[in-house]
Amino acid sequence: MANISKKVSWSGRGDDRGERTPLLNGAEDGKYNRHLSVGGIFQVGRLSTVDLEEITPEEDIVRSRPKEIPHNEKLLSLKYESLDYDNSENQLFLEEERRMSHMGFRCLETRRWVICGLIGFLTGLIACLIDIAVEKLAGYKYSAVKQNIEKFTEFGGLSISLILWAVLNSAFVMVGAIAVAFFEPFAAGSGIPQIKCYLNGVKIPRVVRLKTLAIKVFGVICSVAGGLAVGKEGPMIHSGAVVAAGVSQGRSTSLKKDFKIFEYFRRDTEKRDFVSAGAAAGVSAAFGAPVGGVLFSLEEGASFWNQMLTWRIFFASMISTFTLNFFLSIYHGKPGELSSPGLINFGRFDSDSVQYNLYEIPLFIIMGALGGVLGALFNVINYWLTIFRIRYIHRPCLQVMEAMLVAAVTATVSFAMIYFSNDCQPLGQDNTEEYSLQLFCADGEYNSMATAFFNTPERSVRSLFHNPPGSYNPLTLGVFTLAYFVLAVWTYGLTVSAGVFIPSLLIGAAWGRLFGILLSTITSSQSIWADPGKYALIGAAAQLGGIVRMTLSLTVILVEATGSVTYGFPIMLVLMTAKIVGDYFIEGLYDVHIKLQSVPFLHWEAPPTSHWLTAREVMSSPVTCFNRVEKVGRIVDVLSNTSTNHNGFPVVAHTTENDEPGKICGLILRSQLIVLLKHKVFVERASSRLSHRKLQLKDFRDAYPRFPPIQSIHVSQDERECMMDLTEFMNPTPYTVPQETSLPRVFKLFRALGLRHLVVVDNENRVVGLVTRKDLARYHLGKDGLEELHLAQT
Amino acid sequence: MELLTRFTFVSACLFAEWAVTFIAVANCSISPSEMNGDSALKLPSAVIPVSQKSTLGSFYSLSLSSTFPEDLEVNEYCTELLRIYGQRYVTFANCLVTYARPVRVCQNCYTGFNSLEDIYKNISFDKSAPGNVSCHDSLMRSDRLMLLYTLFIKLDEIWTSAECKQCLNEDQDALSNDTLYFMATLNQSLSCFEQYQRNHTELCKDCKTSYKRLNEVYGRMEKNQMLCIDLEDAMNMTQHLWSKNFRCLLPREETVPVIAVSSFMLFLPIIFYLSSFLHSEQKKRKLIHPKRVKSSSSLMNIQDKFS
Repeated sequence: MANISKKVSWSGRGDDRGERTPLLNGAEDGKYNRHLSVGGIFQVGRLSTVDLEEITPEEDIVRSRPKEIPHNEKLLSLKYESLDYDNSENQLFLEEERRMSHMGFRCLETRRWVICGLIGFLTGLIACLIDIAVEKLAGYKYSAVKQNIEKFTEFGGLSISLILWAVLNSAFVMVGAIAVAFFEPFAAGSGIPQIKCYLNGVKIPRVVRLKTLAIKVFGVICSVAGGLAVGKEGPMIHSGAVVAAGVSQGRSTSLKKDFKIFEYFRRDTEKRDFVSAGAAAGVSAAFGAPVGGVLFSLEEGASFWNQMLTWRIFFASMISTFTLNFFLSIYHGKPGELSSPGLINFGRFDSDSVQYNLYEIPLFIIMGALGGVLGALFNVINYWLTIFRIRYIHRPCLQVMEAMLVAAVTATVSFAMIYFSNDCQPLGQDNTEEYSLQLFCADGEYNSMATAFFNTPERSVRSLFHNPPGSYNPLTLGVFTLAYFVLAVWTYGLTVSAGVFIPSLLIGAAWGRLFGILLSTITSSQSIWADPGKYALIGAAAQLGGIVRMTLSLTVILVEATGSVTYGFPIMLVLMTAKIVGDYFIEGLYDVHIKLQSVPFLHWEAPPTSHWLTAREVMSSPVTCFNRVEKVGRIVDVLSNTSTNHNGFPVVAHTTENDEPGKICGLILRSQLIVLLKHKVFVERASSRLSHRKLQLKDFRDAYPRFPPIQSIHVSQDERECMMDLTEFMNPTPYTVPQETSLPRVFKLFRALGLRHLVVVDNENRVVGLVTRKDLARYHLGKDGLEELHLAQT
Repeated sequence: MELLTRFTFVSACLFAEWAVTFIAVANCSISPSEMNGDSALKLPSAVIPVSQKSTLGSFYSLSLSSTFPEDLEVNEYCTELLRIYGQRYVTFANCLVTYARPVRVCQNCYTGFNSLEDIYKNISFDKSAPGNVSCHDSLMRSDRLMLLYTLFIKLDEIWTSAECKQCLNEDQDALSNDTLYFMATLNQSLSCFEQYQRNHTELCKDCKTSYKRLNEVYGRMEKNQMLCIDLEDAMNMTQHLWSKNFRCLLPREETVPVIAVSSFMLFLPIIFYLSSFLHSEQKKRKLIHPKRVKSSSSLMNIQDKFS
């Protein structure tokens, strides 16, 4: 038995498994090894626990002490759980369905539409609120600083203006960062990675709560008004999702208010559908791009989809754009004028000078490649920065300080750039620059660096797109690109809520415009086709595509935001090129951050070259099972075991004494058990329960989504001896696979059905293991083939 | 501002030229005797002959060979209106061209515009015309060219975009008080400039007060929307004189303090990151070993295969 000796030698080295372990496609005879090794397992495996929500190395504790390693991207956190997308078709469910009339189902459908309308409406309102608040606050700040600068330009003391600007910035950002760092850390960042995870089926704690929404909105207003290199578009998507999750439940657990409506929708499956509608509504409000919103939901969260849902999501998106338009039109004093676009207004590209020609296509592709390279650079730097932040800057007060410093430095860099810039341009005829600074320019001229820096990022983007040729000189644009690139990389990942869309667009627009200007100086200057605004648009698309790597939805969003389908083709080409080039170096920014958060994220496909892995190797084993009729004491013990925090338990016919695994007859969830314990549904009480009302599905829904912890349920000593009949409540037909199923097959089941637990059975239908999300997510393709991620406590 | 001015100027020039040619032609065809009127005489001689020679001949022959029945002919009253319209049009267009550069159109041409507008309104809202066909219909809407309408609209557009109405008083018959005041202030500045023309440093110092007051007045008027092209252009020129010709720019004197403060600010994050790197405890993650079929079986199987 050479195999065994080999195994022993390997297990002796079990300690240095902290390092990355390459998995390679093995030789054929590996299969036999596994078969041999299986022999001893069942005797060893007691009926203890599994399900990867938490695993303790009980037996291995001697051999492999829990190791501590610094945080890196190759970890999976235990903090994250799956959502229950699989409907439990237990008897209660069937009963309820039987009771429901035809009209009842009609009503449900109508209610879904009403909810989608409400989601759109509220999301639009929030977008409106953010827009107006940012405009007002930034307006106050810039006019104060402007007055100050004007005063001191003449009499000296400009360094005081610099300090004033820096202090104002830091103050705004401090307020926002304190709110985020101390009250709701999950509101940090753009929220798109979190929503992506949620739609993927990962339950991120507290991500769709009302409190998160409030902090998010407040934080965005502060950080944009604080002059950071951020945008308010990404957080809109998160906000939309939270609104959706809240509205569809008809209650708020944060406010402890239950409106007693929409009770049917209180489960993960329904909620997920609404959350995707909310995300779409958020995109649509942010960019004025309803179709783009729908496609965003489709691209980012579309493991589960149907046509009716698409149509409803589109409805929510449209309502959201409409609401935003309507309220903004009132705010701008033109009530009823509905044609203004979303939060970011790219303006219209419809003059003759911005047409493009066939011979420009290669240029666009070159720009796309450039965007891909720059985007990858952005992601790489941000990746290292984020690791540093996770490792060293994890205390809230440090995080707040860091955000304030970034804000102060942003102001300083901007001021220095403006101060030393010699680029003066004559004022436009209709004074498009609201906060134009003259500084040392001649009277009647303004400092053109100030239009880029002394402005909210949205306005800067617009002026880069639309200012007539000659508004910027190449040096200004070059320096601006460089400075803003550094600032934006530095800013993303701070503990403030803010998005990365606008800074990316701004960087791209700046170098795109530069590209256009250089092009027109190289070629004869009279050529119309090198209009810098057009190249600014293409550059913006390339840079954004290079950073976030979205494809279809981003194309449509940009096309809708610019309002010209003419540019569909070049934008698509550019995004394609940017993605191809960027993917060669590193993943998209959101994926990088998802990885760094150690989220068990399931991608579209199982990693290639993983067909040789079978369910047996993937699964966790042995499994904690319950009998059909189980003793309450055992249930309570298993649930309250802090070292194992399992959520799903296979129910078996009955376990024999010698720890043989039993035949599977169902699956029950922790949440269900807790509700059962709370209502004391014990066999011994069955007689007395007759007088009581029978437990209904409604009781389970009422506890959703925050089921009480097991510790809060009191079970007396007498009750521990009672028995509990699980037959009625368990899911009688859980999905199972045989042990030899390959990993991609299991993966497909998980991805397509949104499973949380998959029971692995042997040929006699006996439970041998359980596959959960974390078992699958730990495999990924690294540099040297298949790699395995480690589970870690975070 | 410069752009606008230039554009207005060019278009005004072009248009005036074009308009004048047409007027001449139209006038000729209706009553050739009127051609000798004072208006035509003032036209630059280069403009007329080119178009006159070629078009006039055919016009004459056409109008002579065919006359229409009486009810379709333009009646005398209308012809008279047309003649007055022509005269006033020429006067106004002429005025625009004359005061195009530097722009003084609002100050000098408002009477011309008012009278042109009067006659145009007369024609458009004419109800008292003898006969059943009103002059409005017969003059303005008989053909697809609608010449009188187009001509007037073009000039009206120019007048609107020049925003001359903002410089005039409510009745549009005189310059407003603010405009006069601004011009007085402007003149003060200009005379001051003239006085010190030799010595620019002196000029920058001594004319600063008057120049500043001019800027203030201008700023106030801009806020109240009381500017027209004349004032904008005058201000533009003055600013250009001040900044470009006399080079009265603000000196960039504070480079040292700005650099000092900036580098201090830039230094802060370095300290911050260094200190948190050195003093903050690195966050460690506890690895957890999942339970597999055999203890770490999958790993071992892989290793087996590997070997």
